[in-house]
Amino acid sequence: MRVGQRRRYLRASVIPMILCLVAAPGPVLPVAAAPVPTPGATTTGPATTGAATTPGATTAGAATARPVGPDAGRGERLYLSSCASCHGPAGQGSQRGPSLVGAGPAAVDFYVGTGRMPLVLEADQAPRRAPVFSPDDIRALVRHVESFGGGGPPIPEVASGDLRDGRELFQANCAACHSATGAGAVLTNGWVAPSLDRATPVQVAEAIRVGPGLMPAFPETVLNRAQVDAVAGYVQELRGPRLDRGGASLGRLGPVTEGLVAWLVGLVLLVLAARWLGSRADR
Amino acid sequence: MITRWLVRAVLRSVDGRLRVAPLLRRGLAKVFPDHWAFMLGEIALYSFVTLVLTGVYLTLFFEASTVETTYTGSYAPLDGARTSAAYASTVRLSFDVRAGLLMRQTHHWAALLFVAAIVLHLLRIFFTGAFRRPRGINWVIGVTMLALALFNGFTGYSIPDDLLSGIGLRILYSVAQSIPVVGEWLVFLAFGGEFPSDDAVPRMFVTHVLLVPAALAVLIAAHLGILVRQKHSQFPGPGRTENNVVGSRFWPAYTIRTLALFAWVFAVLFGLGGLAQINPIWIYGPYDPAQATSPAQPDWYIIWGDGALRLFPGVDFDIAGHLVPAPFWPGIVLGGLTFAGLYLWPLLERLAGADRRAHELLDRPREHPVRVGVGVAVLTFFAVLLVAGSDDVIAKLLKVPVLDVLSVLRVVALAAPVPAGLCGYLAARALRANGGRGIGELTRRDLRAAPQQRTGPGERDASAAPAGPLDGADGRVELWRDPDGTWRWRYRSGEVTLTANLAYLSREEAERSATTAYRRAPVVAVEPPVPAVATAARRTARRAAPVGGWLALLAIGTWRRRRR
Amino acid sequence: MTGRLDLAPAATPEEDERREAARRERAASRWIGLAFGASACGAAGFAAVYATGGQTQLEGLSLAVAFAGLAAGLGLWSRRLLPSGGYVEEHEPFDSPPVEVRLTTEALAGPESPLRRRGLLGLLTLALGALAGAALFPLRSLLPFDRARPAHALRVTPWAAGVRLVRADGSPVRPDDVPAETFVPVFPEGHPDRGDTPAFAVRLDPARFTTPPPGGHVDGIVVYSLLCTHAGCPVALYLRGTARVLCPCHQSNFDLLAAARAIAGPASRPLPGLPIAVDPAGFLVATGDFTSPPGPGFWSHE
Repeated sequence: MRVGQRRRYLRASVIPMILCLVAAPGPVLPVAAAPVPTPGATTTGPATTGAATTPGATTAGAATARPVGPDAGRGERLYLSSCASCHGPAGQGSQRGPSLVGAGPAAVDFYVGTGRMPLVLEADQAPRRAPVFSPDDIRALVRHVESFGGGGPPIPEVASGDLRDGRELFQANCAACHSATGAGAVLTNGWVAPSLDRATPVQVAEAIRVGPGLMPAFPETVLNRAQVDAVAGYVQELRGPRLDRGGASLGRLGPVTEGLVAWLVGLVLLVLAARWLGSRADR
Repeated sequence: MITRWLVRAVLRSVDGRLRVAPLLRRGLAKVFPDHWAFMLGEIALYSFVTLVLTGVYLTLFFEASTVETTYTGSYAPLDGARTSAAYASTVRLSFDVRAGLLMRQTHHWAALLFVAAIVLHLLRIFFTGAFRRPRGINWVIGVTMLALALFNGFTGYSIPDDLLSGIGLRILYSVAQSIPVVGEWLVFLAFGGEFPSDDAVPRMFVTHVLLVPAALAVLIAAHLGILVRQKHSQFPGPGRTENNVVGSRFWPAYTIRTLALFAWVFAVLFGLGGLAQINPIWIYGPYDPAQATSPAQPDWYIIWGDGALRLFPGVDFDIAGHLVPAPFWPGIVLGGLTFAGLYLWPLLERLAGADRRAHELLDRPREHPVRVGVGVAVLTFFAVLLVAGSDDVIAKLLKVPVLDVLSVLRVVALAAPVPAGLCGYLAARALRANGGRGIGELTRRDLRAAPQQRTGPGERDASAAPAGPLDGADGRVELWRDPDGTWRWRYRSGEVTLTANLAYLSREEAERSATTAYRRAPVVAVEPPVPAVATAARRTARRAAPVGGWLALLAIGTWRRRRR
Repeated sequence: MTGRLDLAPAATPEEDERREAARRERAASRWIGLAFGASACGAAGFAAVYATGGQTQLEGLSLAVAFAGLAAGLGLWSRRLLPSGGYVEEHEPFDSPPVEVRLTTEALAGPESPLRRRGLLGLLTLALGALAGAALFPLRSLLPFDRARPAHALRVTPWAAGVRLVRADGSPVRPDDVPAETFVPVFPEGHPDRGDTPAFAVRLDPARFTTPPPGGHVDGIVVYSLLCTHAGCPVALYLRGTARVLCPCHQSNFDLLAAARAIAGPASRPLPGLPIAVDPAGFLVATGDFTSPPGPGFWSHE
């Protein structure tokens, strides 16, 4: 119920903005960056590298070369209609969204491919949704954003990795937030580390390199390519029901749901039996 | 006929050595009250039996050591990984020992239900005043068993040396370390040094499989021995007095009934153990002090303590240059107060003016509104703590900020218990004033009218235990001699007919028993009544031919061994 | 029943009732037999599942069926075929007659009773007390004598001047290995598994520090203890954007820009910092121990 109220509240605040933008070309919506900009970033202004840009952005230059190729027009069209209102027509960023210069293909592919961008509603943290664009469109968008320059991590190619290394690395680097079970967990201020139950290997690898939202990034110096492959492989193993060898996973939320089941299923069944047995049979 | 002959043969053979017949006859005739609330303790008992049986199986495969070893087995993500022997053997037990996972999960579910049943049993005892004289001693034993159950649950959760339980153990260590003056020494002695120590797992293992279960077994024996010696208490009702117990006899009715519950406890536990995954330590991974998983909770019966740790604000005290860290208050003081309160409640009630007489008739909860009020308030407080211990899971499911949940719960934990207790008090008072009605039928007028109809403690005692009907004065005792020469009696009053549980060898014996049970009922000698119950029982015996067959086999076996 | 009595002829009701009872008993026996049969099938199923390789769900289910069948059969037996209730047992009061009490007292504390020798009893108590006290001494062995005493062990960690920071795999860390906005758990070289040493390194923008980090920084790299100062859980949840770390156990928040001050949750003390520098070989090294004892508080903390 609280969720519903909050949604209504958000909607109420966002609807006027949407109305203002209806006249604008295409389904442009007001968009806030998924991550809340760091205090430092807000003081230095929105056009500088915000929280959503990546560590690879250290080499950021102001390259503005126009792309060439058959898809050039398509990517630009999509960008202008769905992204430019927040990120600026040349990806320079605005009050509403961070700069995409130096964001890198991995970041664009991750945000758009997981449906987190374009934002539907202004929210603290963009939730995962079905992607709005087709894979081809996403590729075109990625190329277009890449043309803003600044480098940034490329879309990783994921090979099959070592399962044991993947498990160890996952536990060391990911489990604290995403839970050792991959079920995700709450952070603070309403942010969450999302569940990994729908993450594809490429998306896992992209998230590791990019560090979307509040997540720290893990560049090559911290996790090498084989290690990323291993983690991505283990997440796939974790997603599957194969690990729930013991039966119903109960959401993999640990002792809380186990305790609930113990009381609401186990003890209720036992007490009902005691009631049946302990009452006098009227014969 | 054959059954009878067989039973007599076996009995003679045993009786000739131990003279058990008189004792056995009395034991078989022990009367159990027919009320489901009296079976909650049995649920705990049978859970304990499950724990022992599955636990013994687990010890055959578990290796209580933190020595580093290599897991090799069918769980691919860990195959070849270096982990502690305790962790590796638990994974092996879950994946490579056939039926091992079933036993492990059943053991864990049984632990959760063991404590849950104890808590429910304790609530029944509390709200019905069954802890009053002469049962204070069993109350103390019961509370001790609860404490031991919590402790043993925690050590059992900790010994697999997985990431989740390691974090829990880390918290326990920190809480114990927070005790002023002795805390550091206490944890260093218990763990053999700084956390995480190699001694912790073997030491916890010994307490988990030997010391605490042995203590529990002794206490259970004492609990039951005292129960048999003191006989059951019972709710007031027709024919029930402070000097008797009304219900079913142990054999055959109650035996079959309690065996049914026993089997059902096994059914539920094995069902849960097979179908619902619990504590998947292979997913959590081995413990490493630098690694974490989130959400991190202990099992439900410890969560309230974790909840208190979450709610209590970070207030450190400085005493002459020494530190009393914040976890001391919610961890040690609250836990200590909880159990001190439980232990001392019978005493507190007596100090507050309750009588010191022995009580065999229970209170209905409503007859003691203050007790209901205190109970509801305390339960509310602990329920809030339980919720607080799950705050991150709740925040995740409700999609609200966790610190907001925490702030709300801080307020609720302080604000809710007193009004809740007051509601309990008022409801109980109104119910008491309105006699037989249930809680659903209460109206606002009842609540307002209750104080006028209030009866003082002295008056209440007088009205709750009116001398007349409860001593059997409104009925009569009928005494007769059965054709086999034994004496029996029964109590009749209106619709109620209650037969004595035993056949007596002499008239005096029968009369003494009858006048003990019903002090004021006149005793009259009558002709033996038609044994309606006996025919039904005999017919039953014929239906139970398979059991007879089994007994025959058993007897033949004994016979042969004796001949040899 | 009374209604039937009125309607039926005088002789039949009793017979009727008996026949009805017999019928009900037969029905009950049938159900009970069925339940026991189901139980036997469950048990056989369990054996079969086990013998053919085992499968946890089927094992649990078959055992549950076996025991549930037993429970149902016995339950029906007790309710349908056995008399329940209707019995009374006397319950004699617990106070024995005074003469019993007097005689027992006499037997325990009679003229030749040892309990009357109070002087000797006092000495016996002394001896037993001394013995009990002496018996406590071996408990001290629970903490081996070659191990550090609690207060010292809790205050001091292997971090010291010149100790290199290494990652979990043992490789030393250069400043470049800690790029901005990542999170690197670090350990003192040679002590990877100890409970009190884990720390983490992050690189922050020095301009954003509201309080200077207690251990100083190397180009924005700060190193703090990984152990929460509340109950010792690893504060491994790093919120990159806000430069906070969270504790997974009790949701404490620490602000790394403000010297790792505890800003929410039940923790009160800041995370201890680790003073660092770069050694001539270009690796990060500690220049001393943590700025305060790591992990949860204790009596002789400061």
